Order: sequence, then structure tokens, then C-alpha cells
Amino acid sequence: MTTVALPQTRSEPAPRRRRLNAQDGAAYLFLAPWLLGFFVLTLGPTVASLYLSFTNFDLLQAPRWAGLDNYWHMFAEDKRFRNALSVTFWYVLLAVPLELLFALAIALVLDKGLRGLTFYRALFYIPSLLGGSVAIAVLWRQIFGYDGLVNEGLSVFGIDGPSWISNPQYSLYTLVLLRVWQFGSPMVIFLAGLRQIPQELYEAAAIDGAGPIAKFFRITLPLLAPVIFFNLVLQTINSFKAFTPAFIVSGGSGGPIDSTLFYTLYLYQEAFAYFRMGYASALAWVLLSIIAIFTAASFLSSKYWVYYGDEGR
Amino acid sequence: MKDVDALIGTRPVTGGHPWRRGLAHGLLIAASIGMLYPVLWMLASSLRPEAEIFTNFSIWPASFDLRAYGEGWTALKVSFTRFFLNSAFVASAAVIGNVLACSLAAFAFARLNFRFKRVWFALMLGTLMLPYHVTLIPQYVLFLHLGWVDTFFPLIVPKFLAVDAFFIFLMVQFFRTIPRELDEAAMMDGCGPFGIYWRVILPLSKPVLATAAIFSFIWTWDDFFGPLIYLNDMTHYTVPLALRSFIDSTGRSEWGPLFAMSILSLVPVFAVFLFFQRLIIQGIAMSGLKG
Amino acid sequence: MPNVSRRSTFKLAAGLAAAAALPQSVWAQAARTRLRMTWWGGTDRAKRTQAALDAYTKINAGTQIDVETIGWGDYWTRLATQVAGGNAPDVIQMDYRYIYEYARRKALRPLDEFMPSPINIADFGQANIDTGKVDGQVFGVSMGVNSNSLFYDKTTFERLKIAPPDHATTWAQFAEKAIAITKAASKRGYFGTMDAGSAEPALEVWVRQRGRQLYDNDGKIAFTRDDIAEWFDYWDKLRRAGGAVAGDLQALYRNTPETDMLTTGRAAITFAHSNQLVAWQAVNQNKLAMTMFPQTQGGKAGQYYKPSMLLSISATTPQPQEAARIINFISTHPDAGAALGVERGVPPSKSMRDRLLAQVDELGKAQIEYISLIASRVGTLPPPPPKGAGEIEQNLRRVAETISVGNAKVPQAADQFMADAKRALERA
Repeated sequence: MTTVALPQTRSEPAPRRRRLNAQDGAAYLFLAPWLLGFFVLTLGPTVASLYLSFTNFDLLQAPRWAGLDNYWHMFAEDKRFRNALSVTFWYVLLAVPLELLFALAIALVLDKGLRGLTFYRALFYIPSLLGGSVAIAVLWRQIFGYDGLVNEGLSVFGIDGPSWISNPQYSLYTLVLLRVWQFGSPMVIFLAGLRQIPQELYEAAAIDGAGPIAKFFRITLPLLAPVIFFNLVLQTINSFKAFTPAFIVSGGSGGPIDSTLFYTLYLYQEAFAYFRMGYASALAWVLLSIIAIFTAASFLSSKYWVYYGDEGR
Repeated sequence: MKDVDALIGTRPVTGGHPWRRGLAHGLLIAASIGMLYPVLWMLASSLRPEAEIFTNFSIWPASFDLRAYGEGWTALKVSFTRFFLNSAFVASAAVIGNVLACSLAAFAFARLNFRFKRVWFALMLGTLMLPYHVTLIPQYVLFLHLGWVDTFFPLIVPKFLAVDAFFIFLMVQFFRTIPRELDEAAMMDGCGPFGIYWRVILPLSKPVLATAAIFSFIWTWDDFFGPLIYLNDMTHYTVPLALRSFIDSTGRSEWGPLFAMSILSLVPVFAVFLFFQRLIIQGIAMSGLKG
Repeated sequence: MPNVSRRSTFKLAAGLAAAAALPQSVWAQAARTRLRMTWWGGTDRAKRTQAALDAYTKINAGTQIDVETIGWGDYWTRLATQVAGGNAPDVIQMDYRYIYEYARRKALRPLDEFMPSPINIADFGQANIDTGKVDGQVFGVSMGVNSNSLFYDKTTFERLKIAPPDHATTWAQFAEKAIAITKAASKRGYFGTMDAGSAEPALEVWVRQRGRQLYDNDGKIAFTRDDIAEWFDYWDKLRRAGGAVAGDLQALYRNTPETDMLTTGRAAITFAHSNQLVAWQAVNQNKLAMTMFPQTQGGKAGQYYKPSMLLSISATTPQPQEAARIINFISTHPDAGAALGVERGVPPSKSMRDRLLAQVDELGKAQIEYISLIASRVGTLPPPPPKGAGEIEQNLRRVAETISVGNAKVPQAADQFMADAKRALERA
């Protein structure tokens, strides 16, 4: 969270700059609700959790100071922590690009003038509407289970597939697919982004004789960059913090053999099943640091590929 | 939907050939079935006897027994009428709160220059990174001291204070795609920052505001953890919390009524999605102003 | 201009908030004595418990009882948050494992001072009173007597003409039966029994039959590495012989009725608790029946009576007397007993049990009869589990899965389990 590339205003001549500094008052008025929320609702609990990460807080009794014990245990001894970290990294690495590509592709199709698109858009959002419903756990077992749809398909070719969802070698991939299947939110955001692109640009390009591929790379992609960037950053953060998919599909265990033990699922187990909220808080702050590094890197890279309308083109 | 289709007409229509359009429809329909299966299965399950639910994965109900709907609606000592009203109230308030408060903050980040902007922006993003499980208890203590536990305040007030940085960042990204020349033109006409926010940015941001509205409504409607922690009395329960009262992993669950009520619970969110997505689609008409 | 916007934003927020809070604050003043009670469970339990509480408030018009109910998994998260925040409900339903965690962390109030008045449960018998004790003090009143139980698919056993297991079946005979079922049924993905190698209650019965315990009085592991190795080996052999469900199928079990191997049509026998028969039958089309877990030849009694659920009082309640009266009413009053039935297990009170026998349905009767049937075959209550026992229970499942789906060897898995268990106890 140190240095992030920011929405910056262009470098201005001196007189203009003075006027912009006069915007301080207005800016803080606009920010007032957020600042109030930040200081009153967010900051206190956040600082409290940082403090608790140095204690042995067990939920039910007053916390006792434990120094760096939690952090030491985490890095020196805790095998499940290391495993959870690796599960989560793999998940982020696979799920984020796949989901974004899929969402972008569908958004591009749905942005076209096909009849009945309202209908499709709504249908494609349905998996995301279901959120963490129990129906999803049942459905995923039905698709990737022993007698599931996937194996029925494979049996046509004489292949006797395993129970994908409960096989430690494959279970994580079924969760990656679950995330790709629930691609509704980034899709809607992409769609909104596509709708912001002025139609005239395409018309002008068409007059210049640009084909659909040239239009995509010269107009759509650059103008969509801020939205792609947003989805990338947010989906990365959310995938690092992913909890619900593993929770409902594995019944909270992260099994089999911890193969779907997402970081936050492990954190949740430590906090609420084993009464180690102090340790869970330490886990949370380590996760925050990791996410912050990834986010900062994204922001640094964005200087080279994200252009904003307010910067001039 | 007529007017929306008319607007879509302004988009380039894919390939002139009927077979290409046919192919596109074929693929979309195939994908839609994959998307719809769980809902159809839930629907079928709500209509069949409980003992069959976990061995029958067909989406064609053999029987049409609507009893689960009647039973489900009144299965708890408070009826679902109340739960739906509670959910609708909380989710609507969340939409208003998020759209108002987050767009104000986003405008400041996207358009105004002020001291410590980078710091605030980084802090705002930082609030997205901490898993909520560890701030839960301090936050509970806070709301308890405010006397807000077992009221809707903990679910609504944070939205009016722009606590969900997701929406701020989302709006910042969209606001920034709007050319600055428009602000400057408005300034010439004597608009201050608020005038620019109200007359220039908001009207040109219908797609993103609609997106924020959709997500706010749906996420709040589906949210189960907040209500679980902050609502105690059943008359305050929201729909997802009531649904969780049907299932108990150690004992007897009411699966038929659960699925019946789950299906009904999808109706409002689906309607909200349909309503607001029209605004996303209309984005193009608005951005016509830009030219 | 920004001022206007901001002010109107807040006015709106305040207005909405006030509207939301209105019914709340109106109600807050109404009742004289007001208590909160919480339990986990589905709608059937909610209806029955509410009826019992209504019977109480009818007699005690000055009391209002607000109830908070939710399913098992969510219950503990909410309860922990409420206790941590200092806002625990007055009357709390406890589980026989969690009660140690809560009582030892001083979240519950000892009930000894309320006995025999207002809590008069003498006719429970000392054993059933002791099930609510933690380190010598009573912290919970048992709501139901419960014990381990095999559920088996009666329809399938009859169809295949194989004699079902009974209370005298040994582990060796059990294995033979399981293999026979698999062979006779001869259906892809269908087996004689679930793989209970990962189930702690089954392991506990196994070690107790060998004269050991899971934990001793000092909270240390009280069985040997060889016990656990033989346990893993038993299930490994049975699985390889085709008698127990294959590893990657068993891994789909989530400790819930709807994911159980019996329910999902994978096995003819499952390991459960007697009070869960109704829940299992509800999601099964075939007829289910119950019997004891398998026995060890010449072994000791493995099973014991455990409380299905307990009622406790929060350490911070301002109205402990009233809370105790409510607990007494629920546990002993005929009206409460009639309303609750055997939904939480067989009532520990003998008089109530006798009265119920005439009122309950077939499944309820089966449960009551089972509990009386095993009376001569159950052993004493084991020493209390130490802090960290919950984690060891999860470890067992993970390690057992490394054998069944990960192809680890039994000896290494046994070493792993003992090492993990030691570590969990040290850190607790």
C-alpha cells in the first residue's frame, strides 16, 4: 500500500495549480461521508485486529499479549499455512485470467446487436445471483462427481474418470471453474465499459477502412483499459480473499486433504473452529501485505498500459 | 423491451449472414442451459418429495406438488412476507447509500486535486484487502456500544458512509474516462465542483451508476453474514438468514421449502437486474453528448 | 452546493435509519422480564421449542423470551461473536464438545447454585446429570440422551437376503457383511458400508472397546499409535476388499445427512448418532433401521450415553434465576416434554420418557427403544476432551483421507496423526 499510481491531474501551469489547491475544501466535502465512515467504522476495527494479531485472543476471554509468537509460528512451523498459501496462489493465478477472459469475451458478444440479448444477459448473470447457495454445492457435485456429467461424457470415449471434485489432484480446478462460471460481475462491468465507448469512434474507423480486428485493438481495447485494470485489480483482491466457494463446496473443511484450503478458509477455521482469533488476525495481516504488494505492482504497471480520458489521448 | 432493442440497433449488428447469427444464437442458448441448470434443478426439487431430492438430478419434475411453497412461506413463526420486506428495505437503502456516497468520494478522487490524495486513495484500497472475519468482533463491539445490534443500522449506515471501496474505485475508473474538456466547458458556464459532479459527471455515468446499483442490491440481498451477526430477532431477519433457518447440518432440514423459498428469493434480484441493465445499455445514448 | 448535497445525503440516511429502528425501539419498552434464548436447528425444532416456550410464558405472563435460531454451522460463528462482544443470549443451547470450550473460557455460568431449585432434575439419574459437568461443576442440562448408532438400509438388506448387523456383530463380521453387500448388489459405485476411518466417534468406540480412551483425565491422548494404526489398517483393508466406499467418493461426505453415503446411494450402512434417525430417514426413500456400532471380541463397552444437546446459562446474564427456571421447565415440565418430543434425542427424565412412549411416532419409538436396549451395553462417560480436541477431530479426517485418496501408507499416516495431535494439544 505504499506508492500507488493515482488518478493524477495533468501537470498544470502555475496559476491553475493555485486554483486547484483551492479545491482542498471542496474535495474534503466530497470525501466527508467516506472519511467519516473510514475513521468511525473501519479504522478502529482494523487497528484492533492488528493489535489482536500480537495476542493470543481466543474469542471468549480477554486477549493476552503474545509478542511475535503468532508470526513466528506461522512462518517457522505452520505447514497448513504454507499449504493454504500455495492453494490460494494457484487459485489466483488460474482463476483471475480465465474469468476475465471469459467475461470479456461474453461481454463483447453481448454488446452486439443480436436479437434477444436482454434475455441472454440476464441468463448469464444467473450463476452470480446464486452466490453461495447450497444449490451450487449440489450442482458441482453433480457435474464433477463420480457419476457426474463430465464422466458421463468421458465414458463415451471409454474413459473411466475419477470423482474430480473429491480427488485432491483435481479438486482445486473444479473451484477455478466455479469461479469462471460465476463470471457475471466482471461481465457487467465490461459491458458498462463498452457502452461508454463513443460509437462515433467506430464509425470514423470504419470510414478509414478498419476491419473488426483493427477496431478491437485500436479502439475497444485501449478505451476499455481502465475497466480492464479495475477488473484485474479487484478480481485479484477478491480471489486472494476467496472464501465462499471452498466453504460451500468442501463443507468448510477445505478437503480432501486440504487441497481446497483457501487462505481465508484456513483463517476462518483457526478463528472460529479452533478459537485462535489472535492467530487468525496475524494471518489476515500477512494476507493484506501480500495483496497490497500485488495491487501496488498492478498500479505501477498500469502506467504503461492504462490511459484515461482525463489525460488526453 | 422494445425501446432497448431499438437502442441496441445503433450498435453494429454481427455478420450479415443468417447462418452466422444462427451459430451465435446456438452457442448462446447452449451456454444459457449451463447457466440455468442449478435454478431449474432447484425449481424441480421444490416440487418433488424430499426423499428424492438428493438422488434425482433431473430438471424435469415428475410431480407438480406446490405444497412446499405454502409450507415454506409460513414455516417459521414469522412469515416470509416480513423477510422479503426487510430484505427489500435493506437492499434498497444500500443502493441509495452506495450510489450517493461512493459517487461523491469517487468524484473527489477522479476530478479534484487535494492534499494527501495518494494517501487517502491507498488507504481506501487497503480497506478492501483485510478479510472481514478478523474485523468482525471489534466491529460488533462498536455497533453494540452504539446500541445498533438487532437493528438495520449496521447493515445500512456503512453504505451511506461509502465503506465499500469497491464502488468508489469502480466509479473512479469510469469517471476518468469522461473527457476533461466537458468539465472545463461547464466551469466556463460558472459551475463549481458540485455543478460539474451533478450536471456533467453523473448524467454521463449512467452505465456505471446502474452497475453499482445492481451490485449493491444483489450483494446486499444475498448477504448473509452481516444479518447473521447483527440481526437477532426473527422479525428482523432478511431472506437469506431465514433460508438458513431451514437447514441444519446435524439434524432435520426442510429441503423442499428451502428450495421453494430460494426460487422466490431470486425473483426480486432478477427483476432488479433486468431493470438496471436497461440503464447500462442506454449508456450509449447518453454518451452521444460527448461528440 | 456540495453542502446541500451532503446535508441531504445525511438527512436521507438518518431518515431511513430512523424508519428502520422505529419498531425496534417501540418493542424494547414493552415487556417486564425479557430474556434471549438461542439454539441451532431446522424449522421442526424451532416449532417444537417455540411451543414449549409459549407454554412457559403462558404460566409466567411477566416473561418474554426472544429466540434466535439458525443452522449448526452458522450458530457457532454468531455465538462466538456475541460472547466476545459481551452480548451473549441468556439461555444457550450447547453441544457436548463445545460446552468444554465455552465453560473453561468462563463464558457459561455454573448451574450448581440453581439445583435443586429451580432446576430439579433428580430423576435424570446421576449419569445424565454428569454429562453436563465440566471439571466438577454442572454447566449444562442434557436435553436428550444420545448414543452412536449404525443406520442401515433395511430395504436393501432384505432385497439382497443378507442378515443386517445387530448389537452383537463384531468388527470382523461387520467387514464380511459389508463385502457381501457390495458383491450381492454388484452396482458400480455402490458398497457395503461408508468408510468410517475418518469418523472420530467410530474411532472412540474402537479404542474404548480396547480398554482405552481418546483422552485421559489430564487431557492427554490416551490411546497408542498402534491403536490408530490398526484402525487405519482395518478400513484400508476393507476398502481394498471392496467392502467400504472408495476414497474419492467418501471424500464427498460433509458430515450432513444429505451428503451421507446412505443418502447419496453409495452404501448400505452409515455411522451416525441415534437422535439423527429422523433427519436421515427424511432424505432417504428406502426404509432405515438402527443398531449399535460393531463390537470387539471380548472387548469392553465402547459406546456410552452422551447428551445430544445441553442447555446452559450465559456467564453474563443479568437474570440467571429466570433463565434457570426456563431451563427447568423445558427439561421437566410435561407440557414442554409433549411439545419437544424426541426431536433432540430421548429425554433424560424417566417420567417424561415413559409419558412420551405413548405419544411418539414409529421413528421416535425406535429411538426410545434403542436407548433402553443398549442400557446394559454402554460404558461410563469418558474423561472430558481437552482444548484442541476439535482440531484433532479434523486432523483425523485429513490423515485418514491421505490413506484413502492420497495413497499414503498406514504406518506413516499413524505417525503423522500422533505427531499432529501432540502439536494441536500443545498449541491449544
